[in-house]
Amino acid sequence: MFDYSVSFQSPWYLLLGLAVPVLWWLSFRSLAALGTWRRLAVVAVRTVVMLLLIAALAEIQVVRTSDRLTVIYLLDQSLSIPESHRRAMIEYVNEAVARHRRLEDRVGVIVFGRDPAIEVPPYDEDLEMLPEIESLLDPGFTDISAALRLAQASFPEDSARRIVIVSDGNENLGDAVGEADRLAQAGVGIDVVVVRYPQRGEVIVERVTASGDVRRGEPFDLKIVVTNTRRKTASDSGEVTGRLEVTQWVRGRAVVVSRGRVTLPPGKRVFTVRQKVEATGFYTYTAEFFPDRPEDDTMPQNNRASTFAHIRGRGRVLVIEDYEHPGQFERFKMALRRQNLELDQRTSDQPFEDLASLQEYDAVVLANVPREHFSDGQIRALVRNTQQMGAGLVMLGGPNSFGAGGWAGTELEEAMPVHFQIQSAKVVPRGALAMIMHATEMPNGNFWQKVIAKEALKVLGARDYCGVLHYTGVGATGTSWLWEPGMRVVGGARDEMLNRIGRMTPGDMPDFDPGLVMAYQALSALPQAAVKHIIVISDGDPSPPSRRVIASLVQAKITVSAVAVACHGPADSRTMARLANATGGKYYRVNTGRALPRIFQKEARRVAQPLIYRNRVRPRRKHVHEITAGIEGAFPPITGYVMTTIKENPLVEVPLVSPQPPNEKNATLLAAWPYGLGKTVAFTTDAGARWTNAWTGWENYDKLFGQMVRWCMRPLEEGGTFAVATDVVDDRVRVVVTALDKEDEFLNFLDMSAMVVGPGPELKTMELKLEQTAPGRYVGTFPAREPGSHLVTISPGAGQPLIRTGVDIPYSDEFRHRGTNDALLSQLAERAPRDAPPGTLADTPAGLADVEPLLEIDHFRHDLPKATSSQDIWYYVVLVSSCLFFFDVLLRRVQISFGWIMPLVGRVRARLFGTRPPAPEPETIERLRSRKAAVETEIDRQRAGARFEPGPEAEMEQPEDILPQAPLAPTGKEPTLASEEPEESYTERLLRVKKQTRRQTRRQEPP
Amino acid sequence: MIRAVSTPEQRCGTEAARIERAAAPSIDVPCGLGRWIAGLLVLATGLLAGCDESRNTMGRLDLVWGRRGISDGRFIKPRAAAIDARQRIYVVDRTARIQMFDLDGRFLRGWRTPDSALGRPEGLSVGRDGRILVADGHYQQVLIYSPEGELLERFGGQRGYEPGQFSLITDAVEDSQGNLYVADYGEYDRIQKFDPHGRFLLQWGGHGSQPGQFRRPHNLALDRHGNIWVADACNHRIQAFDSRGRLITVWGTRGTGPGQLYYPYDLTFAPDGTLFVVEYGNHRIQRFTPDGHSLGCWGRHGREEGELCNPWAVVCDNEGRIYVVDTDNDRIQRVKL
Repeated sequence: MFDYSVSFQSPWYLLLGLAVPVLWWLSFRSLAALGTWRRLAVVAVRTVVMLLLIAALAEIQVVRTSDRLTVIYLLDQSLSIPESHRRAMIEYVNEAVARHRRLEDRVGVIVFGRDPAIEVPPYDEDLEMLPEIESLLDPGFTDISAALRLAQASFPEDSARRIVIVSDGNENLGDAVGEADRLAQAGVGIDVVVVRYPQRGEVIVERVTASGDVRRGEPFDLKIVVTNTRRKTASDSGEVTGRLEVTQWVRGRAVVVSRGRVTLPPGKRVFTVRQKVEATGFYTYTAEFFPDRPEDDTMPQNNRASTFAHIRGRGRVLVIEDYEHPGQFERFKMALRRQNLELDQRTSDQPFEDLASLQEYDAVVLANVPREHFSDGQIRALVRNTQQMGAGLVMLGGPNSFGAGGWAGTELEEAMPVHFQIQSAKVVPRGALAMIMHATEMPNGNFWQKVIAKEALKVLGARDYCGVLHYTGVGATGTSWLWEPGMRVVGGARDEMLNRIGRMTPGDMPDFDPGLVMAYQALSALPQAAVKHIIVISDGDPSPPSRRVIASLVQAKITVSAVAVACHGPADSRTMARLANATGGKYYRVNTGRALPRIFQKEARRVAQPLIYRNRVRPRRKHVHEITAGIEGAFPPITGYVMTTIKENPLVEVPLVSPQPPNEKNATLLAAWPYGLGKTVAFTTDAGARWTNAWTGWENYDKLFGQMVRWCMRPLEEGGTFAVATDVVDDRVRVVVTALDKEDEFLNFLDMSAMVVGPGPELKTMELKLEQTAPGRYVGTFPAREPGSHLVTISPGAGQPLIRTGVDIPYSDEFRHRGTNDALLSQLAERAPRDAPPGTLADTPAGLADVEPLLEIDHFRHDLPKATSSQDIWYYVVLVSSCLFFFDVLLRRVQISFGWIMPLVGRVRARLFGTRPPAPEPETIERLRSRKAAVETEIDRQRAGARFEPGPEAEMEQPEDILPQAPLAPTGKEPTLASEEPEESYTERLLRVKKQTRRQTRRQEPP
Repeated sequence: MIRAVSTPEQRCGTEAARIERAAAPSIDVPCGLGRWIAGLLVLATGLLAGCDESRNTMGRLDLVWGRRGISDGRFIKPRAAAIDARQRIYVVDRTARIQMFDLDGRFLRGWRTPDSALGRPEGLSVGRDGRILVADGHYQQVLIYSPEGELLERFGGQRGYEPGQFSLITDAVEDSQGNLYVADYGEYDRIQKFDPHGRFLLQWGGHGSQPGQFRRPHNLALDRHGNIWVADACNHRIQAFDSRGRLITVWGTRGTGPGQLYYPYDLTFAPDGTLFVVEYGNHRIQRFTPDGHSLGCWGRHGREEGELCNPWAVVCDNEGRIYVVDTDNDRIQRVKL
């Protein structure tokens, strides 16, 4: 399956190999004394060491080439494809894999709509996808590019990669072609299987527009564009009959303003409804078509469209109260009415739908409502309503408000003039929260556990303690803390904790006891924590906690809240309910994970409750402000408020503070500041419900709260000089502003700016550029592909009040009737990866209705470049060369004798063949012998140096430069036996010959 | 139509024979030096945690089969196993699939339980006539299948604490007389006995730590005398009762040493009458005499072959080889003694 080869990252270093002969030359000279074999061995080792070092410098790598192929199918599950075809995709993929997959090839499946999800990760096995898709998707959109990105990230590295897109190509989000280009560059092949379906009858309400400027008491036309996509044939007129209704929505009330039977021939038709409004408000008009025969209209989602009309008048205020504790703010509401403010009241279980529904209000009051009653999207809408749309926002205090209400860390905190957390150690007692996580069998159980833990952690203050216990199966109890020490101060470590939670994989906990005991011990070791709380989330199947453990928790005043995820029914949750009841906690049972984060936010608030200051104090004025202007004398005393930290910002004004605690930063009672285009007010005590009972009869009560709300309300528009019209053209919204002065003359060269707030929970904002195109006419466009309300705030220039308008995109492009997008699918299949042919386009007239022709195409064909993966091994090479260098030194410094081999061989032979080895001689004799041999060798050497024995070798070895040219002069003596003369050494002979030569030389020199 | 190169049976056999090394997850360490450090840390951690206590003192690894997957022969968190008289092994996993294998790990047959949205089965045993009893705990019922996978009967199904009602069934076994013993836990951990016609006969137990009480009776086993042995998981002990529910013996203390137990999840008898107990918390198999004397251990925590991760079940064939359901490693390991 794999082939291995070697490559070099920096091959130029290999040129250093040319220096190897130099090494040889140097080594041969310097190692001459070692003898032939040792010298050769050392040179060989040095050569290898040098070559290895050169390879390491060249960054040697092992390259693995794989024959494997991984194919990931992308199945389009968006609603533009009929359900029968979506099911057929699964059957097709199962069949295609069974037919074509090679044994070692991998296959995976990603399903996608708006977001992609991995249905089957790449496995080297045949697929057995069930008929139902298990992943949760939003099928109202098609984003092929996101699916391509996920596929690329899901590929294993050790195989060639191919993506097979099974889709109708009707993308309405992202840029699939651009993504396909990037994939092709990365060597990923793309095949396409075209989903084709027959033409369907479809009626689409394209749009509703309010023509011209909508003014109070003046008629205007609503235009409704309806399209019938059926075709006229010989046997069928193609007409569709049904009912068209136009409904007006204002302040949550719906009134049908037009209802009539209509006959729609094939093609487009425009209906006009004349309207006139007398009252002020933010009106929404919705047109909806109801076909007589449901089979005439496949998708009901595209039968409805809306538009807005805004008639300005007196300021309106929305007061949102806690639905669990209604009636706390009656006195406050009465005061606003007395101050001539129009008031709407809602409870926190149904506060408002979206940003658009807030547009009829100029200020919103949050009256002691907890954070968990609002979704993230609603909180964002509240903030955008102030920041981008210029409305006011007032937050009234109470035990469910500010930090005590779990609002810390939210976007709303950013909009307020105070921080909801307390930094000062002396002021606030600390809370400690331990969470025990047990893996559940619910779908996406681990995902929701992480979401929950993160949400709970966000609610905690910087000085609170937090710990998470989960079952890991290792250690003394099998249960482990997610971080050390188990209960850790949140401040400064919050990000790290969030990261750890992201990596958490809780196991299947057999019983609750070990986790509860660990939490108990850790919480008991925190005497500084005023509130100690445990939250357990489980599907209820661990064995129940023992009575002893529960008794210990009760004694230590540790409350336990239990959240049973109802996948195992009520039998399991009874255990958890008992645990919660016994310890004073709360018991929750939920059916879906979506409810869990709110529960945990609420539970975490138990720990955040120390933020409330409960003492009788008399408010003290600090700054002069419009809110408190005209209020003479002292303020009545209060008995409590929620502590906050004032923001260090010059725009923040603090009209009222509490004298206690002494740190004024945390003792804010009333603070205000401008935020974006609007203003926000924080009033940290309540409005007469609990802590300000003494205020309800105070003569300045109405004035104070009236001025508070009025100060932050959106300024009234003077109206009449600016007319705004909007229109949707393709995927863009066009905004046209006509500017006239009071004499109806065009206003030119205005410096207009505008801001658009998009729909959906993200409420993305974007700037809109308005350019003058004619006298008094300013035009700008912005993209609007996502369905929902797009709200526009226009600032006509300095000193001019804001203009607001909106456009509703009624539904996703998914529901616009279109056939298969052949052009896009062809483009995707044409993308050719490097060194490989382009992909195939499997397209038959029957589409997935007949899969047999489609199955002819083998998506597992091995025509893509083989996958290679490389690994650096230079550090191993350096290690080996270091070890070899040791042998270089060893060979040079140590002479290894092999003399022991022959005796060993002799002994082995003797043992095997019975021959007697020579008897070992006594050690002294052995030493004498060797000494004798050494002496004899020395004598022989001296003799060789003393004698001039005739012979061919001696004659050859006589150096001519030492011996004289002339024959030696006779000594005049008869030769005698050598033994009778004293022995002459080689050096003596040399000296003698030297002297003789000098004498001769002197004689020959001229005098 | 051209099919895959080999049949699932062939592939499973091949996989079993070669002992899939690729199935074992490994820790990715970025570089060579990191590997050395990680190795030293693992070694040090192992020594400090007392892993030497879990050293194998019996048996050797004989075969490993299965890996994570949804196709035939693969598992996602297998939880229980049983061997029938024809020496075929049945395994149920967290996808509510029951798969039948021969003793060498070759896939023979498979089927799913009818409902699994509320939770998946946790227990499996073979009745006296070869029927397969599946403890479908989250539906408060025992599913009875033929060896061919045909659903023959649903026993129970009523949630409650009265006789004949159940909370979370962990296991069901049938004795030689056809009586059915069903263990369940929740608030009232107990064992109920039913006659061959399904009529309630008696019950015993209760939630607690006293002898005769249970905290999560996770598995039942019958000895040759018809006594009922209970893996009392959260009390970390084994209890035995006669057929009338009278306590015969109780042994086991919580711990990691030899002779101690930590979440015993399953037990089975060897042909020689000794017991094998699988410990979920200690990631090992321990062999005991019926009076609770430890005869040896096998396995330790890990992902390699011969190591276990939260094992749930153990069964023994007629040759005395044991099959460990290595749950979190998604495989079966066979150990030869």
